[in-house]
Amino acid sequence: MSCKEGELCEEGKKRKIAMVVLGLMAFIFVALSFMSFLDSRGQVIPNNVQYAGHEAVQGKRVFQAYNCMGCHTIVGNGAYLGPDLTDTYATVGPAWLEAFLPSAGSWPTRVAVQVQLNKSAVAAESGVEDIEAYLNKYPAAAERIERRSAHASIMPNLPIKPDEVGAVIAFMKYTSQMDTEGWPPVPQVVGLTRSEAIQMPAKAVSVAVSAEAGTPEAALGDPVALGAQLVKDNGCMACHTDNTQDLIGPGWGGLYASNVTLTDGSTAHVDEDYLTEAILNPDTHIAAGFNQGLMPSYSGILDTQQVTAIVAYIRSLVGEEQ
Amino acid sequence: MIRIEYNTQRLSMRFFLVMLILFLFQTGFGLLLAMQHIDPTLLSGVLNFNVVRVQHLNLGILWILAGFIGTILFVGPLLSKRELAAPWLIKFLFYALLAIVIWNVLTQYLAQQGIAGWWMGQPWFQEGLEYIEAGRAADIVILIGFAILCYVVLRTFPPLKQWTEIHWGLGLGVIALTAVWMFGLFFIDRLDLQEYFRWYVVHYWVEGVWEVIHISLVGFMMVMMFKAKIKSVGYAVFWGISLVWLSGLIGNAHHYFWIGTPEFWQFWGSLFSALEPLPLIFCFWHIYLDAHQDRKPIKNMPAFAFLLGSVVLEQVGAGILGFTMTFALTNVWSHGTWVTVSHAHLALFGTFGMLGLAAAYYAIPLMRGIKKFDQRLGKLAFWMVFLGMLGMAFAFAIGGTVQVFVYRTLGLDWFGGDVSSAMYFAKIMVPIFGLLFTVGVGLLVYDLLTMGHRPGDIEDGSPEQDDASMQLPTQAVPATGWKRYLSGWEAGIWLLSMWVFGAIITIGLLSFNLTVVREGNPLLPYLMASVGYPGLLLVTLLFVWRFLSSVTARSASPSPKL
Repeated sequence: MSCKEGELCEEGKKRKIAMVVLGLMAFIFVALSFMSFLDSRGQVIPNNVQYAGHEAVQGKRVFQAYNCMGCHTIVGNGAYLGPDLTDTYATVGPAWLEAFLPSAGSWPTRVAVQVQLNKSAVAAESGVEDIEAYLNKYPAAAERIERRSAHASIMPNLPIKPDEVGAVIAFMKYTSQMDTEGWPPVPQVVGLTRSEAIQMPAKAVSVAVSAEAGTPEAALGDPVALGAQLVKDNGCMACHTDNTQDLIGPGWGGLYASNVTLTDGSTAHVDEDYLTEAILNPDTHIAAGFNQGLMPSYSGILDTQQVTAIVAYIRSLVGEEQ
Repeated sequence: MIRIEYNTQRLSMRFFLVMLILFLFQTGFGLLLAMQHIDPTLLSGVLNFNVVRVQHLNLGILWILAGFIGTILFVGPLLSKRELAAPWLIKFLFYALLAIVIWNVLTQYLAQQGIAGWWMGQPWFQEGLEYIEAGRAADIVILIGFAILCYVVLRTFPPLKQWTEIHWGLGLGVIALTAVWMFGLFFIDRLDLQEYFRWYVVHYWVEGVWEVIHISLVGFMMVMMFKAKIKSVGYAVFWGISLVWLSGLIGNAHHYFWIGTPEFWQFWGSLFSALEPLPLIFCFWHIYLDAHQDRKPIKNMPAFAFLLGSVVLEQVGAGILGFTMTFALTNVWSHGTWVTVSHAHLALFGTFGMLGLAAAYYAIPLMRGIKKFDQRLGKLAFWMVFLGMLGMAFAFAIGGTVQVFVYRTLGLDWFGGDVSSAMYFAKIMVPIFGLLFTVGVGLLVYDLLTMGHRPGDIEDGSPEQDDASMQLPTQAVPATGWKRYLSGWEAGIWLLSMWVFGAIITIGLLSFNLTVVREGNPLLPYLMASVGYPGLLLVTLLFVWRFLSSVTARSASPSPKL
């Protein structure tokens, strides 16, 4: 379609025709767009979605502030380092997300999810009360606990605050309710695996089992050894370390017998009572620099003997300088 | 070669130089991303993947824009036969660009702390939306920058009645560039509505505005390099732009398949975006025709190589690879995977990046008054970035195909455990080809920065600037074999074979819908992908090699029978 020198090309006329056709296209496009966002379509809107008192719109702001789209996709758009987040709320459930988001660097253990279910708001949103029913209702959470529990994830720990955690979950609740025309495609056959996939060590499964059994064999022995086992089973190391380095929560090395400054400016001496209180009612004292409401209460999960064992274990950890 | 006729053309130099520096940094960030994909703990907590990715995306957009601005400023006076309007505004635009780059690189880091800078309901520092991550503060300065560009271009151009199709293309292009940007300036509650408007900016920029600027500039480059007639090029520009807009306007619908918008978009998107390759075929054909207008040896081979690369990769990356995943039935699988990354890299760098580099290779020697320079470095750099990019596209495509199967068909969603390990072969290939690409980039940046300051470069006015010295010694011997004249028939066969491989890729993506695949047998899609992608990229490579060989030797070829 070249126009040779001297030929009559009638550019102006053709340009006008092109503009008319373009106008028609624009009209079709605008009309389709208008129909897309009519209320009658019944698409969920974030203003109508709350999760445990958090607004989905607020969650969208948090989602953007941390640039979640820079690693994940949402409705398929974004980056491809991590999984798509559109349906995550529906598949793993709120308790699992509550357990995962504050300490995203490692995968939550069964107990970490169970602890979240003790919060009435989380249990209400999950629609179940106990962990067995939860894992039945959310098989993706069961799969994650079974295969990944306490393993390092490829996501970094984010400095995310408790209300931001709730807000992001509210946003994910909203996206999971969206009608995305059947995307992502659901696997036709459930339970397919890849023979070359990394086989998960049998250890991960046995940990879950021993946690259930309450580790009776260690209970008879040294409380420090029992404490170490309990710390492992409960996934405490997702947020704490056994040295002086702080992670999501304080590092345990040299913590015992030290003096810590609390958020209200007062000073507290770390002894058995302080640590016991911190495990059972973590929000009583919050050390300066840490977030209130991130550590769940282990009251009802751990009995007195187990708490004592964990405190004994923490006591046995010395700081680097000692 | 033409001389610089208008002084204000020299204002383009600073934009070209900034383009090269940003390109180098962008490539570095890309290499880091490839390494982080292999080892996600690399710099985790210090420089997280999402922050590195933002830099990679935004610097990519900014250097392409810098290249556009540079090229427009260089050709503006030639198109208008007068100096650019308001040179002081152009200087202001330049410093605004620098300020935006530095500000945005710094503020994007705040994503690690979750700080968006909310004020009046808007995120002022960074907003975490793919491609338009820049915060509102930067957005507004960018809007002012675009407005300045519009003003300069429209004030420089002759009166409307004297406009050729190239004026129309560039004029409409810069106005649309500014207009479309405004759709990204608002925080939107609804995810579906936000994505709807985000694609206004991203899709209409790439497939509406940039494509139009690209067609116009390629057309004028042909006029400058081959003395092609403005009238015949202009006519091609007109048809190119018309087809781009007629297909691309509704073609945006291919982004509205799965974002929460109704199903009817799948029909409109599949239909119209399947037409989007038409203007690209058109552009492709024209570079073939126009490059054969005059049969003198090409004096600036790197510039022509990048121009050819731009048009060919537009065809392959945007046209063919875009086509393969534009149907709802293939897009349902490719969406949200590395398959799209392959398309994005080839199309964006290939089409727009290579145009900026071609213009820089053309304009910088002219502005520095260099009559003859050592072109070996530039040619080597071209082949390195070209090969590197084809290799990366191959790695992304293969990795993406595996990802679709493992993630979507098998439903394994543990990226650290299942998905990454399956994609490992592809993930390793990316930085290998990426390194080749990076070295090529380093080479071409060095070449363009030091051009004219190296021994052996001949400046204007030196004694041996006779055109005869440029003639090839083989002139008398007719070129044969690989270097023989590239006939239109043969070029058509090359184009056709690219599309055949494109069809194989499309069928491969379609085959994910088959029950046998969905029950866990990946043989068919894997087979199609491992024939289609290497086939397509190999044909692309050979065709560019063949084209450049024939063009190098064409003064010695017999006259074509047209």
